[in-house]
Amino acid sequence: MAGKKREAADFTTAMAERKRKVPDSTKDRSKSIKKPNKFNKSGGGRDDKRRSRSGPRLPAPLRKVLEGINPSTDSLNDSDENISSDEANDFYEYEEPLPEEESGKNRRFDRVENYLYEPSDRMVDENVFSEDDDDENDYDGSEDRASKIENSHGRRGSSKQLSDEDEDDERLLRVLQGVTGMPSEAFEGKKKKKKNVVISEAYPESEYNPSRDVLNGNGQLTIEELVDVLHGEPGYDALRKGIHTTDKKSISIQAPLPKVEREKLERNAVYEQSKKDITKWEPLVKMNREAPSLYFDEDTNLGFSTVGAIASGFEPRTEFEKKMALLVNDDKVKEAYNEDGSKLLELNKISVEEYLEDRNHIAKMRNLLFRHEMKRKRIKKIKSKTYHRLLKKDRLKAASAEMLMDPEAAKEEARKQEFKRAEERMTLKHKNSSKWAKRILQRGLNAQDDGTRAAISEQLHQHALLTRKMNTMKDSSSSSGSDDSDEEDVDENSAGSDQDEASKLFAKAKEKTLKVLQEDDEVPTSGVLSLPFMVRGLKKRKEEAVEEAKLALQEYESSLKELEDTGGEENAKVGITSGRRVFGVAKRDVPVPGPSNKMKTDDYYRNTDSEDDLDENIDVGNGMKNDLQKDINVDSGFLNEDAESFDDVVKDPGPKTSHDVAIFASGTWKKMKSGNKVDANIKKSTKVGKPVLQNQEELAEESDTDSEGQMVDGILSAAPKPSYELPSQEELVRLAFAGDDVEDDFEKDKQEILNEENPEPEKPNLIPGWGQWTHVQRKKGLPSWMLEEHEIAKRKREEALKKRKDAHLKHVIISEKLDKKAEKLHTKTLPYPFTSKEVFEQSIRVPVGPEFNPATAVGALNQPDVKKKSGIIIKPIKFEEVNPHEKPEEHKEHKRSGNNQKTNRRKGAGGKRVGVRPVVVKS
Amino acid sequence: MKVKVISRSADEFTRERSQDLQRVYHNYDPNLRPQEKGVEYVRALNAAKLEKIFARPFIGAMDGHIDAVSCMAKNPNYLRGLFSGSMDGDIRLWDIASRRTVCHYPGHQGAVRGLTVSTDGHVMVSCGVDCTVRLWNVPVATLTDSDDSPDNSAEPLATYVWKNAFWAVDHQWDGDLFATAGGQVDIWNHNRSQPVNSFQWGTDTVISIKFNPGEPNVLATSASDRSIVLYDLRMSSPARKVIMRTRTNAISWNPMEPMNFTAANEDCNCYSYDTRKLEEAKCVHMGHESAVMDIDYSPTGREFVTGSYDRTIRIFQYNGGRSREIYHTKRMQRVFCVKFSCDASYVISGSDDTNLRLWKAKASEQLGVLHPRERRKHEYHEAIKNRYKHLPEVKRIVRHRHLPRPIYKAAALRRTMMEAERRKVERRKAHSTPGSILTAPLRKRRIIKEIE
Repeated sequence: MAGKKREAADFTTAMAERKRKVPDSTKDRSKSIKKPNKFNKSGGGRDDKRRSRSGPRLPAPLRKVLEGINPSTDSLNDSDENISSDEANDFYEYEEPLPEEESGKNRRFDRVENYLYEPSDRMVDENVFSEDDDDENDYDGSEDRASKIENSHGRRGSSKQLSDEDEDDERLLRVLQGVTGMPSEAFEGKKKKKKNVVISEAYPESEYNPSRDVLNGNGQLTIEELVDVLHGEPGYDALRKGIHTTDKKSISIQAPLPKVEREKLERNAVYEQSKKDITKWEPLVKMNREAPSLYFDEDTNLGFSTVGAIASGFEPRTEFEKKMALLVNDDKVKEAYNEDGSKLLELNKISVEEYLEDRNHIAKMRNLLFRHEMKRKRIKKIKSKTYHRLLKKDRLKAASAEMLMDPEAAKEEARKQEFKRAEERMTLKHKNSSKWAKRILQRGLNAQDDGTRAAISEQLHQHALLTRKMNTMKDSSSSSGSDDSDEEDVDENSAGSDQDEASKLFAKAKEKTLKVLQEDDEVPTSGVLSLPFMVRGLKKRKEEAVEEAKLALQEYESSLKELEDTGGEENAKVGITSGRRVFGVAKRDVPVPGPSNKMKTDDYYRNTDSEDDLDENIDVGNGMKNDLQKDINVDSGFLNEDAESFDDVVKDPGPKTSHDVAIFASGTWKKMKSGNKVDANIKKSTKVGKPVLQNQEELAEESDTDSEGQMVDGILSAAPKPSYELPSQEELVRLAFAGDDVEDDFEKDKQEILNEENPEPEKPNLIPGWGQWTHVQRKKGLPSWMLEEHEIAKRKREEALKKRKDAHLKHVIISEKLDKKAEKLHTKTLPYPFTSKEVFEQSIRVPVGPEFNPATAVGALNQPDVKKKSGIIIKPIKFEEVNPHEKPEEHKEHKRSGNNQKTNRRKGAGGKRVGVRPVVVKS
Repeated sequence: MKVKVISRSADEFTRERSQDLQRVYHNYDPNLRPQEKGVEYVRALNAAKLEKIFARPFIGAMDGHIDAVSCMAKNPNYLRGLFSGSMDGDIRLWDIASRRTVCHYPGHQGAVRGLTVSTDGHVMVSCGVDCTVRLWNVPVATLTDSDDSPDNSAEPLATYVWKNAFWAVDHQWDGDLFATAGGQVDIWNHNRSQPVNSFQWGTDTVISIKFNPGEPNVLATSASDRSIVLYDLRMSSPARKVIMRTRTNAISWNPMEPMNFTAANEDCNCYSYDTRKLEEAKCVHMGHESAVMDIDYSPTGREFVTGSYDRTIRIFQYNGGRSREIYHTKRMQRVFCVKFSCDASYVISGSDDTNLRLWKAKASEQLGVLHPRERRKHEYHEAIKNRYKHLPEVKRIVRHRHLPRPIYKAAALRRTMMEAERRKVERRKAHSTPGSILTAPLRKRRIIKEIE
């Protein structure tokens, strides 16, 4: 294989030659081994001396004996003698005659080679010879050999030039003889062979000389000859053909290369092979490199997994453990334990009856327990307050009974009570300090329902109970109910202001009048009073009285209203200022839209319509005498309404009428009021409207007075001058920006910015130091280098200014100032693996944090490159087939990528990464 | 009337366990959070700073040898076991977890130059300058190892005496062959007192040898003739040789990429090679200020650790030109051998000051069991740091390392020299005929030739 490769590579003739001579060392060796035999057969007849040294020989001692017996049988026994000489003579190999190829008699081995080399046999001969030589010397020098080859080449060239064949041959022979130390006959063998048809001695037929070809000069067998014997046998044709083809294809055996070369070729082959082998890893490695993360934490073998497994693997080590193990595993102990156990079992025997009894008992107990449990469950589920109250009462009763019976229990109870009292004094738990109570008070007690109020009062009562002095504890419970109300009343009276009193008086008066009215209602049906004139008189009087009562009521009402307004405020004030508030009065104090007396009226006039009461806040009397009241109301409402409604109807009849109807239907006070308000508004608006008009008129007058073509507030008055012309656009602009020189300003601005961004170099000044005080510097002027530096700086600045983007844009300033804060967020150059700015920016565009991504995506976004657990041994890579077209997560169980997006990692050292982070699409 | 109202307390239906934090529901609409990039940048900055604050790589020193530590071997089957050999012929087995000697292996007459452990972790092989190869039995690791007395020493299973002093030894992965380096490369079997095979290519001493863990029949050696040689045991022949300008002290194969290996060179650099293209290095890892003495790949194949004569240990990415991490202590002297632990989380170094030192592979890593939320937080920090690592502020903080003065100065000097050389070449090029001076890339510059 390597030879083929080389053939492709090399083109020089020398190289080609070497290639042809690629040898097999084993073949070579076999050849050299066979050589003596060969020689013996073929060339033995020609030269006695040579014959005596070749062929099968007797060992030296035997030969000596033979010589002693028959000294003249030299020619007959030549083969034996040869053997002996072979054994004895160290120089045999050296003196060995030229091999068969050279003498042209090795057709038996390789006829083709001979044909091949016939035209240039001299060169080949030498080569082959030297090859043998090399074989013996174990290829010490390749250079020597190369030089030899070159020599031969050179020689051949010169001989051709001479073109005298005989002379050439002779010379060559001489050279060969000189080099090899062999007789010239050996080299001339071929020529002579053809001439020498007559052979002096006929060889006897033997195994060494099977054919009669010796007569032809070919003392050797050919395969054809051997095969000819088989002529006619089945398979003969195939055999012959095979031989024919092998003959045709057979390559000449080349001289083996020097060891260095050989090894080099071998190494090359090995390297190619191992290269090919190692390339199989490529897809796997590539896949791992491209995977967003590698996983090494999957195959975890923790060894012991259960306590039992650990315990079974336990072996006693220390003294103590060994002792324990001895004891535990001791036979006697075991036996004893077993026996004891069996005894115990025997004792444990019980009768069937006992067992049944026991079981029944247990079942019963369990049943009872279950029932009890169910009962408790049911009771626990009951939510009825009354039930629990009763339950509590029962409990208290029982407790009190116990107390009576048992002085100890009484004492205990007393102690408990005392503790509670102390606790209350300390924490004021029941004094509206809880969150609940505070909230209720904040919202107003009156807004609460009765239950809550009751609860609050109950709590306060509890507090009072607990904080009262010990000696009064007992009777308080009995008297509290009546006391409370009394106290409250007193409180009310005392706390209530004068206005309260007045209102009360008014209310009373009202009540009385109402009563009177009510009384009047009852018309006697019999007696003197039932007489017609009497009735008439009564009616008259009644009407008068009603009139009076009505007036009085109105008075009362108005005054009451006033009182309420003022009183409410004052009450509120009182409520705020008073440091201590009593619950009873608090009810009054809270400013509620519904007045306090309303409740009272409610109480007094239970018979009245509740709805009316609710609706009509003020007119208490209404409720009592429905018909009358309503009439009055309606009247007043109607009267009030009439004036407006007419106007309204005129304006837009549709909606207003319905409104009226509504008013009629409900007949409420409020609605009427609102109507009044509207009226007032209208009036107001009209009032406002008037002055505006007046103003306008005044303005007009003024303008009239000084309307002499003046510009007042940017509005030209009517043009009295006919010669005025509109100014052109430019003029207008000029006029508009008369004061400011924009262009100049801009120029200045630009200059400033330029100076700021590319500052002008400082003018060189006199240097402080030597010569400063002697005016030397001033006389000499500044040193030249300073001036030069200044010049350079100036030039640099100008160049920089020229390079600016806005250098040629007259009306533009493009700032090239670096924003230091923004600079932090940019890289100066494109970072290494990225090839374009867009890709890089894309890679840091989408945030990866848990605040910006759903939990399902965060894990994938934040995956580390390598996932491993400390404590788990990572084995080197194992080979497995990888389908390059498949996705990476499918085939690696310990290397899977968490998300579908692939980030292309760097490929090798020189690769590029096109890292695109996944974009999370918001849904 | 009783009104039933649907009421759910948020903490009841949002938490998995009572210890969990309240889950907060987010609207992930990016329009609602216009500052996300800024927020993440600041976080990245803070993460970088935190990393610096928590960077405490040194775990502890293992003290016991009375001469410089020349070589180490990790037990591929047992994480806690580590063998170390010293210049006085002492071999010790350490328990890394408790940082104590578990076992002694006396016997070597001179310095121990090579240690290796079979893949199953049962047999340890040592060799040294006393021309012997010794095979030792490794005590089976048990749970109660630590309470044993520390003075138990072992007898060698076998001692093979050979012709020349040994420089290195390495065991085949998942096989029973091991190779020694010295006058030649010898392949040994556990059970034979003579090498199974020997290779010699050139006459120079082979100083380091490493089997390829991925391809167990391929091995690489480096010799004192500045060469790196690849061998293939299947064809029982050397394959190729590369000669560099300076000597290669050690070689390590990438365990996850069987075609790649990295050579620690005398010229302060490491060179990553692809076995198929030896005419140029794939990557040159620079950073050390003196000869790199030893190299070992992390089992993940993504980074490797090097120990150098300049008294520092560096950790490189497999494709990074500069080191990711530099470890040093005041008392650590010339580092002769380094190893990455088998779980890729620790680094062990043996140095001239007779101590072995245990380091974390990631300086700021939190050891111990991590709560999942904690782990997620770390991962997030890592991710944003990685994302913004190119921005100047983050870059500066992440790259900053405090170095001992001699190393810092040596680095500056080296930089200056390199710069001067570069300038010189540049000028020479500028003043000569265009095309007459060719500059080879750094990856090729240090390679003299590849020999077939």
